[in-house]
Amino acid sequence: MGKGVRMKVIEIKNLHKTYQSNGQEVHALRGIDLDIESGEFSAIAGPSGSGKTTLLNVMGGIDRPDEGDVIISGQTMKGLSESELSKIRLNRIGFIFQAYNLIPVLSAVENVEYVMLLQGVEKHERREKALAMLRDVGLEKESHRRPAQLSGGQQQRVAVARAIVSGPEIVLADEPTANLDQKTGSSLLDLMKNLNHERGTTFLFSTHDPMVMDRAERLIRITDGRITL
Amino acid sequence: MSGYKMTVMLAWRNVWRNKRRSFLTFMTIAAGTALILFMRSLQNGGYAQMIEDSVAPRTGHIQVHEKGFWENMTLEYAFMDDNELFNKISSMKNVKGISKRISTGGLLTHRDSSAGCEILGIDPERERDIITMDRYVLPGGKFISPSDKNGIVLGRALARVLDAGVGDEVSLVSQGFDGSIAAKNFMVRGIFKSPNVQYNRTLGIISLDAAREVFSMMGHVTAYAIRASDIDSVAGLAARIRSVTDDTFEVMSWDRLNPEILQFIALDRASGHIFVMILYLIVAFGILNTIQMSVYERTREFGIMLSIGTGPERIFRMILTESFFVSAMGIALGMILGYGLSWYFTVYPMDFSEYESEMEMYQVSTLVYYAKIKISDFIRASVIVFLLAGVFSYFPARRASRLDPVTSMREL
Ligand SMILES: Nc1ncnc2c1ncn2[C@@H]1O[C@H](COP(=O)(O)OP(=O)(O)OP(=O)(O)O)[C@@H](O)[C@H]1O
Ligand SMILES: [Mg+2]
Repeated sequence: MGKGVRMKVIEIKNLHKTYQSNGQEVHALRGIDLDIESGEFSAIAGPSGSGKTTLLNVMGGIDRPDEGDVIISGQTMKGLSESELSKIRLNRIGFIFQAYNLIPVLSAVENVEYVMLLQGVEKHERREKALAMLRDVGLEKESHRRPAQLSGGQQQRVAVARAIVSGPEIVLADEPTANLDQKTGSSLLDLMKNLNHERGTTFLFSTHDPMVMDRAERLIRITDGRITL
Repeated sequence: MSGYKMTVMLAWRNVWRNKRRSFLTFMTIAAGTALILFMRSLQNGGYAQMIEDSVAPRTGHIQVHEKGFWENMTLEYAFMDDNELFNKISSMKNVKGISKRISTGGLLTHRDSSAGCEILGIDPERERDIITMDRYVLPGGKFISPSDKNGIVLGRALARVLDAGVGDEVSLVSQGFDGSIAAKNFMVRGIFKSPNVQYNRTLGIISLDAAREVFSMMGHVTAYAIRASDIDSVAGLAARIRSVTDDTFEVMSWDRLNPEILQFIALDRASGHIFVMILYLIVAFGILNTIQMSVYERTREFGIMLSIGTGPERIFRMILTESFFVSAMGIALGMILGYGLSWYFTVYPMDFSEYESEMEMYQVSTLVYYAKIKISDFIRASVIVFLLAGVFSYFPARRASRLDPVTSMREL
């Protein structure tokens, strides 16, 4: 997919999500409409509790909205079964979470391979791609270390490698730098930005860090479950 | 690596993740399994020994009598000695020994003391293959010889009641086969102390020839006693003997000759079951505890795995596999320990001879306990532990696989 041709990767229509918390209703999302096009490098920004995580979860098919729809490359997620959603998450979306993304008993390269294994990629190809991916995120030498033997920044790089290794349509990253210091966070953003440039990978990440917001090409502001612009 | 291999590898590594906990569970399973097996082996050995202790000194494996003899124990139920039948039985397969016996009740008197007793007339030569009573004769005395028509060997407790020792003369009064009074003086040749308390209290042994005379048997005997080559061939042999005897006879095997042993074994087994069930429960809760803890601690990890597209069934299988590994290793070690422990006691039995008088008070007459290993116990125990592991891991595994990724990732 060339960089010039922009297609809607995700279309969101009138998303509502309410949680029950101690008998009280919490309106996490109150009617969100949003389109993400391929090749975007965008940030969702908002204060704590504004609904960033909820929005990303619903977009990624981890959570279900009470109302509204998420359409990924033209396919609606409405009415999909758990296992259909699981397949979409596996094959079409890359996830990066704030921390502890990785399976602790697998080495860096095995963590990257894991997704491909679930996809049924053949062994040889899997290993090759995973190692190449780790090289791209600068962890060639650390490929056989377990997560506990990696720094927080290195762990997040492995998570990035895992998220994009099988070419998802979009990478959803929930505060990927929140647990990192300024410098490490900044270089993780550099990495993501590079991948976005070189591979055209679509990134959507959430943050409440102004430094991170500055680096985004598009900023989506969200307050109290609504997009505020 | 296939998907299944990955599940197995993840499970294997997860087992070693919390080494201390896995080790504890592993040891719980191993110790539980070993104890269960050891206890079973001791029971097997104890029962075999008890059977042997009752059968060997006295009843033999099989007895042939006239119908009614065993209930009444009187000479009225003696039968005409039939050499053809006797020889036929003695040539059967699995017959280790066979002999003729005359037994009946009587009264023994020595000076001012007298006691009711059971008189057993035997052929010491032939009985050597059947009973081992001669082994139990205490030093200073001897067993009777075939030609000894005046000698008697007394159980120790009986001798005490009579206050009779080796060389003393005791008088027997009873009733003969023909209804006449049977009375005769016997010389005490020896005193025996067998592992069976009751025999020591009631039994006086004389030679078959002496019994024939004193009871005026006129060619009759009360029993043919048979010893089989081993306990497991008894049932088949008894059936074969039955097929050559007419229905005036009854052919009884050791379990009917010694019904109290079977009762005791049944009772002891039942109490053993309770103990074993407690051990199984301990093992089961050990497994449940580990799996539950390890699942609980990994809530967020499962959330991540589910989020990135891991199928719930994969997580379910992974946890069951973890439990399988821990239990398989525990069972394997448990078997080795259980076998070793049991084996030791097959070679060096527990010997309670020192506590004989205490044991006698509890009517326990077997003093030496060997263990006896049965493969079937090992198979049963390992199957049960595996099943328990399966059942007790099933629920935590199912819960983990059904976690909601959103809520599980909110936990840290
Ligand atoms: N599973 C849940 N149960 C109950 N309430 C929830 C749940 N998930 C989210 N909420 C509530 O919904 C609102 C939005 O939460 P969300 O996690 O999306 O915010 P956020 O913008 O990601 O916040 P932060 O910056 O702190 O991560 C909050 O008030 C939160 O307490
Ligand atoms: Mg959040």
